[in-house]
Amino acid sequence: MTHRPRFRSWLRAALRNLLHKQQVEHRLDAEVRAYVDLLTDERIAAGMNPAEARRTALRDCGGIEQVKQAVRDRRAGAALEAFAQDLRYAFRQLRRSPAFAALAILTLAIGIGANTAIFSFVNSVLLRPLPYPSANRLTILYSGLGYSNRAPFSSFELYHFRQRTKQFDQVAGIWVTNGPLPGEGDAEQVKVADTTSNFLPLVCTRPALGRFFGPEDDLPDAPNVIILSHAVWVRRFGSDSAIIGKLVRFRRNKATVVGVLPASFRLLFPDDASVPPNPDVYESIPVGAWDPQGPAFLHVIGRLRNGSTPALARDEADNIARQINALDGRDAMANFRFYLFPLQADDVREVRRTLLLLFGGVALVLLIGCANIANLLMARGRQRLRETTIRAALGASRSRLVRQLLTESLLLAALGAIAAVAIGWAAIHAILAARPPSFVNLPDITLDARVLVFTAAIALATSMLFSLAPVVALRRLDLTRNLKDSGRQSGWRRRHFSSVLVSAEVALAFVLLLATGLLTRTFINILHLDPGFHAPNAVTFRISVPGYAPLHQLQHNLAALPGVQSVAAISHLPLDDAGNWYDYYWKEGASAEEQNTVMADHRSILPGFFSTIGATLIQGRDFTEADDADHQHVAIIDDVLAHQLWPNADPIGQKLNLSDSPKGFYQFQRDWAVVIGVVRHVQYHSLTAIVRPQIYVPYPLAPRPSMSFILRTAAADTNLAATIRQQVASVSRDMPITRLEPLSTLVDRAHADSRFASLLATLLSSLALLLACIGIYGVLSYSVAQRTMEIGIRLGLGAQRSRVMKMILKDGLAWVLPGLAAGFLLSLLVTPLLARLLFGVEPGSPANYALILAVVLCVSVLAAWLPARRAMKIDPLTALRYE
Amino acid sequence: MQSQTNLLQGTLDLLILKALGAGELHGLGISRRIEQITHGTFLVKPGSLFPALHRMEDAGWLASDWGESENNRRARFYRLTKAGRRQLGAETEQWTKVALAMANALKAT
Repeated sequence: MTHRPRFRSWLRAALRNLLHKQQVEHRLDAEVRAYVDLLTDERIAAGMNPAEARRTALRDCGGIEQVKQAVRDRRAGAALEAFAQDLRYAFRQLRRSPAFAALAILTLAIGIGANTAIFSFVNSVLLRPLPYPSANRLTILYSGLGYSNRAPFSSFELYHFRQRTKQFDQVAGIWVTNGPLPGEGDAEQVKVADTTSNFLPLVCTRPALGRFFGPEDDLPDAPNVIILSHAVWVRRFGSDSAIIGKLVRFRRNKATVVGVLPASFRLLFPDDASVPPNPDVYESIPVGAWDPQGPAFLHVIGRLRNGSTPALARDEADNIARQINALDGRDAMANFRFYLFPLQADDVREVRRTLLLLFGGVALVLLIGCANIANLLMARGRQRLRETTIRAALGASRSRLVRQLLTESLLLAALGAIAAVAIGWAAIHAILAARPPSFVNLPDITLDARVLVFTAAIALATSMLFSLAPVVALRRLDLTRNLKDSGRQSGWRRRHFSSVLVSAEVALAFVLLLATGLLTRTFINILHLDPGFHAPNAVTFRISVPGYAPLHQLQHNLAALPGVQSVAAISHLPLDDAGNWYDYYWKEGASAEEQNTVMADHRSILPGFFSTIGATLIQGRDFTEADDADHQHVAIIDDVLAHQLWPNADPIGQKLNLSDSPKGFYQFQRDWAVVIGVVRHVQYHSLTAIVRPQIYVPYPLAPRPSMSFILRTAAADTNLAATIRQQVASVSRDMPITRLEPLSTLVDRAHADSRFASLLATLLSSLALLLACIGIYGVLSYSVAQRTMEIGIRLGLGAQRSRVMKMILKDGLAWVLPGLAAGFLLSLLVTPLLARLLFGVEPGSPANYALILAVVLCVSVLAAWLPARRAMKIDPLTALRYE
Repeated sequence: MQSQTNLLQGTLDLLILKALGAGELHGLGISRRIEQITHGTFLVKPGSLFPALHRMEDAGWLASDWGESENNRRARFYRLTKAGRRQLGAETEQWTKVALAMANALKAT
């Protein structure tokens, strides 16, 4: 049978019923009364006396109010109206207990807000594609020899790869180094990206002004062209809209500006690729097959051809690697291969683990919050038991009571979610302001529609979760017993349930605290690490170098300054983010196989570097000014490399094959150098890991266009900035200076990731602990209030107050201990996930367990102590009169 | 609704539509009319009648207006709308089919 009412007619009726309620009610009343009147008339006509007729008519129709209620329940919009009624009722209930409402909403707001914030990161970083055209086809390529599969390409390799690939429609390379800021005005060093001409179109839809590089810029006699970042265009050229085509000063020459990038453009490369997110100037470099053994420096990305797959590309790359191996001059590269990763996946490699762990952490906090609110709702439910019982006795259906409870929960969650969006927004900005290094190479983090849907969804799920227990309790409502008990709850079942919730909270808080303990220990360990040099009392700055003579002059002049103990320079400061420089090295007599097994950082230095920075020379001697291209080529290596190459021999006097460039910038050649010293390893890349060993070469053998100076000073607060600038200017007007900062700043920056992790963990676990405390305190105070009379009787019968206190404390701890046991088991699952973030501390560290156990116990006792003290102070006489 | 036989789901709607097929009636009139056409089998009480009337009006099958009863009392009179008449046709056809099928089924040996 078709009973489908027409929707439009239903909607109209629903609106009328809801909006013109008075009118509708009035009509209903008149109509039902008319019915009774008519029935009465009918009976009078049949001979009944009027009073009797009226009475029976009323009786037979089943009561005017009941008929009207039956109509109300069935008419269009009735469900909506009931919801609105529940909502109004819920509002009134919350207003009646503002403390409960505030606590619950705040708990939810913090719990959901933290989830919203972390989800925004997960969404932007893990779920949303990179902000690049065809982002899903972008692949990052490394070369390697099986020992280290994250090496850049040489020009030779890129050239031959491009020649042969069919799976990639574009393969492009980038190398970021330092260079002068283009244009007239003060010389300043900025990040300059050397890219192949096809690089930018892969990662940027269109320039803000002008064009990208094109094949014409690769021609041998093409004019010098550069593309500016938006920031440089604004800062240096005053947002000059006619900049395109202008010839500006750049390096030792002039270059034409052909494009300006959009303001939002950033390079989102993996953390360890040495490609910073924001180069200031881009110049185009050609790619050629000129040197089969040339230096590997290009970070390469490729765009898969439409219809290709990563697997096809990997197979092809293996083939190409074999073909390149067979080329002339590549005889020692048997293990040479290419390694391919999707740019997106590779991009978030480091941050993914941190994010997912954070996500786990905030989820735990929210769960604890849920348990708390469930407990609060249960306690409230018990306070309102009499009211509920009376309503049920008066005919309110169970489903209606449940619906009302759910409406109340939903209202709480909705209010919490609204506050959560604000908290989430603030948290995102706080996290971005803290800006730990591993969060720098991230796309923009925003609160988009997906995040808001997520927030709404967890608010809904949360409200269902925390109303679960009260709903079950409501279903079990026993009218007769409750009415007889005058609304006082009895029996252990309910308390038992609350204690399960408290145990769960303790378990979750315990796990979070354990993780925090481990991360904080890691941070402390990292703070106390020896980086291989002495950071205090040293000033550094970076400078463009026209040649050896001014460099030498500057070292000499700076050393003469008062308060300066010694001065030296190096191509790469430790823990700096400058474009890195490394290559393969081998000892004399190494077999072809061995020749490409050891990779080392290549560092160009001035004499006195080790004593100035505070590195330890273990063996041999430092460079002198006589160590140049005209004499025996020499090198100093670190202990790590010494051990790798000559584990059983004295490295001093041994010969080492390295690439240097005595003929000038970037004119690489392979030479034999004699090892004259061994120095302790310096942590150049991270404080915690030895990434590569180091080789030091004197500047005349490896000239670089950019060097960093280090000045060792007598006191910490020597303010040298102005003097240094003056000295530099007096030596040459052509040496732009940048990043003048204490050496310790670089170390602080390297601590930031760990500091951030431990800070965030501390914040989350403090929240968790606080919530768990509130839980213990709340449940226990409630239980004390419930047992006032019992305690009064005990005291009246002569029980000692201290015993009463012990009893309550024992009660509280009886819930904490199972929680600790559960937390311990849970931690066995969770802490191994942290292993990669830890340093110098084992996930299962017994000391950490002991510490956290003590913390949780102390705090639990504190939370239980307040209600216990109240119990102890109960006056027997008052207690007996209680209720 | 009180009845000697339990009403099948939806029967009340059809009976109301049928009762109003001949012309407009007020609440008690509909009750009496149903009693009459079912030979006293169904006695519809106001607790069922009014919810059904309001629901059917909300659905657009019925329309109502105030009017005078035969003994000069103000009463709400219901009548079929066009949609209501269509619904009566459709439900009658459906019901006839079901009733016939049920009768045949019960006769079968």
